[in-house]
Amino acid sequence: MTKLLTTTAIALLLATGAAAQELTLATNASNAGPLDPHVSTTTHDKIVFGMMFNGLVRFAPGSMTADSLEPDLAESWERSEDGLVWTFHLREGVQFHRGYGTLTADDVVYSLTRAGDPEQSAVSSDYASFESVEALDDHTVRITLLEGVPSLLGLVANYHGGNIVSAAAAEELGDGFRTAPVGTGPFAFDELSEGQYLRMVAHDDYFRGRPQIDTISYRYIPATSARELAFRNGELHAFVGTREDRWVNRMRDGEAAVVDVFEPGELRTLHLNASMEPFDDIRVRQAVAHAINRDELVAFMGPSVARRNDAPVPAGYLGHAAGMEALPYDPDRARALLAEAGLPDGFSTTVHITERTALLTPMEVIQAQLAQVGIDIELEVVEHSAWHAAIRDNVSAMVLYGAARFPVADTYLTQFYHSNSIVGTPTAVTNFSHCTVADDEITAARSEPDPARQLELWETAQRAIVEDVCAIPLFELLQVWARAPDLNYGFDLTGSLSLGPVITEQATLGE
Amino acid sequence: MAFYLLRRVVSAIPTLFGVLTLVFILIRIVPGDPAMAILGDSASEQALQAFRERMGLNAPLISQYLTFLGQIASGGLGVSMVTGEPVLASVLEVLPHTMELAVASILVGVALGVPLGIAAALNRNSAVDYVFRVVSLLGLSFPAFLTAILLILWLAIEVPLFPVISNPEGGLFNRLHNLALPALSLGLIMVAYVMRTTRSSMLEVLGEDYIRTARAKGTPRRRIVYTHALRNALIPIVTVVGLYLGLLFGNAVLTEIVFNRPGLGKLIVLALNQRDYAMLQGLMVVYAFIVVVINLITDITYGFFDPRVTYS
Repeated sequence: MTKLLTTTAIALLLATGAAAQELTLATNASNAGPLDPHVSTTTHDKIVFGMMFNGLVRFAPGSMTADSLEPDLAESWERSEDGLVWTFHLREGVQFHRGYGTLTADDVVYSLTRAGDPEQSAVSSDYASFESVEALDDHTVRITLLEGVPSLLGLVANYHGGNIVSAAAAEELGDGFRTAPVGTGPFAFDELSEGQYLRMVAHDDYFRGRPQIDTISYRYIPATSARELAFRNGELHAFVGTREDRWVNRMRDGEAAVVDVFEPGELRTLHLNASMEPFDDIRVRQAVAHAINRDELVAFMGPSVARRNDAPVPAGYLGHAAGMEALPYDPDRARALLAEAGLPDGFSTTVHITERTALLTPMEVIQAQLAQVGIDIELEVVEHSAWHAAIRDNVSAMVLYGAARFPVADTYLTQFYHSNSIVGTPTAVTNFSHCTVADDEITAARSEPDPARQLELWETAQRAIVEDVCAIPLFELLQVWARAPDLNYGFDLTGSLSLGPVITEQATLGE
Repeated sequence: MAFYLLRRVVSAIPTLFGVLTLVFILIRIVPGDPAMAILGDSASEQALQAFRERMGLNAPLISQYLTFLGQIASGGLGVSMVTGEPVLASVLEVLPHTMELAVASILVGVALGVPLGIAAALNRNSAVDYVFRVVSLLGLSFPAFLTAILLILWLAIEVPLFPVISNPEGGLFNRLHNLALPALSLGLIMVAYVMRTTRSSMLEVLGEDYIRTARAKGTPRRRIVYTHALRNALIPIVTVVGLYLGLLFGNAVLTEIVFNRPGLGKLIVLALNQRDYAMLQGLMVVYAFIVVVINLITDITYGFFDPRVTYS
């Protein structure tokens, strides 16, 4: 009897839920960051920015390749011959959320200027090449560049600083914008319950049409088991999964769930810190490269979520050197190189690593592989945020890092391998290896007008990095989300630069 | 009584001051960079520097400490580095949820723990006593999060009576429905403590002369146990409840996370993850204040149960 009543109650609840089209998602973070697309670059915030904001152009939903960029707030655009002046023609009648009026060129000028201001934006350095952003009239914007950039469209896409905010709302709300953002996207901010959920509601005046989902509750559930149990109990429609073969297969086999495994593959790369002994000796770096068995690493992570990559730039990025071959797995050669470098018995070193399994687990495998040739690694496992701080303080001899960036080789090469990005310097980004061998090619490629020559320069840069063993690219780890079969995104989820499913007006719940 | 209260409140000030100083230092010893944690790992160095400057993180520690004390003295707790909202508002928003959980857990603990403790004491060294003691040992040994997950598996997944995500909103029934599993999970730890204290306290009292006298006079067993013995055995129980109420606020951290329930515990973990110094400091002040108040209330309660206790 109790079971019957419970089942009836659940059926009623589900029926009510289906009628109201309320979608509940869960991420693995414990709370929202600042809900300002120019301020927060954390994964769990980027997913909701994709639902609340638009760029001048956008990655086609479910895709993240540079060639999938399509019109968004701009209907069309043209560029000058030298690529330094870009003119965008805006869509008319686009409405901001919560009655903040119609989008004009002034909002675009305000947003892109704001994205380039280090006081207001976390990604200001991406816009360092902008000389000016002007409104030619209410629906025309002109961007003038100081120098050519590899993908101007990437900087005005619906990603990081390219998201267009309401100038009136940002000015009126000030810091309050971080907890009540205003954009033009298919869903409008409704409520933030700290550490609980972010609620968004359908934007009735969305220019592509009102979304079919009425409400989205985006829940913050850091515990993996809690997310999975809530999904099994029908309290979630989709949630971020675990990037492990076992987990993916278990969910696919045993649950009423669809598991989406999609791009980008975050490239796991082992950066060798050449400012520290013994990694200042290229023979030692080569020895490490020979001692690592990539195929074993991929097999360990599982072929459904991991794939081998030998090039410093991830696959799918414009400029990825597909034919690159890294130093082969050869432990005997590794031992010989160590002996040549005066370390016949190997050596010991300390490596800082985050407690997060997506990096800790492969690092433990690497630790075991290096032990085979006499390299003894002591792992200093620290909390994730502390790890980020430590590796930027240049305290770790090796850094295993995984990242997805805008899919053009320049972003990856500049941030990880250009000397301006060396950690511990005022212009630091994430050059953990202190690599300097590819500066000329990276810089030249950035403003190279000939696409074929640009690709050539990027390939040369990657070859130099691999030959100097600044870092050892290992494998790419794909993104994993699980969803209920009745949730239809409206597109095939093959890629998402937000690292999660971006719900658009096309998504539906139910049969 | 009023003088006693005033004296206790004044004597709590140095304790609070010590806690504040310790909290300020400890938070800054924890490795990690608030700017990086809040802006994300793609943030540029320029942006990180600008953030640190704006939040006063580049100022000398002593200056940050004085600013912090100034805020407390003026009755505020500062503003969150993440949201820019007043810390006090965030605390007041979630405090009722944690209090609700703590009180419900205490009720579970007392409602189950006292009768079980009495039964164990009355059947000392019998099978009942041994079983209860072993069960209470298990209760003490089980980490809160494990109990929570097992309860979810049983009462939310296998027998779908309660939700996995505890959402304390809506009407009274919905709130209680969402409170049941977290309260049970946290309360079971309390049952173990209360049961063991009740048992030993009852055993001690049952051996007193006046109990023997009551028995000799032919007083009914029920009256001896519940009127003469229990009332006098209550003081240690009240102490344990008061002491562990403070601990419950701590244990609530894990329960709130597993059930994804809003509360002080969850707020503190997310503030720690984001290195939101202002929020963490504010929360610690609130925690310290709660513990001081609970201790005060516990002391005052003694007088209610034992007329020999006076306040001067």
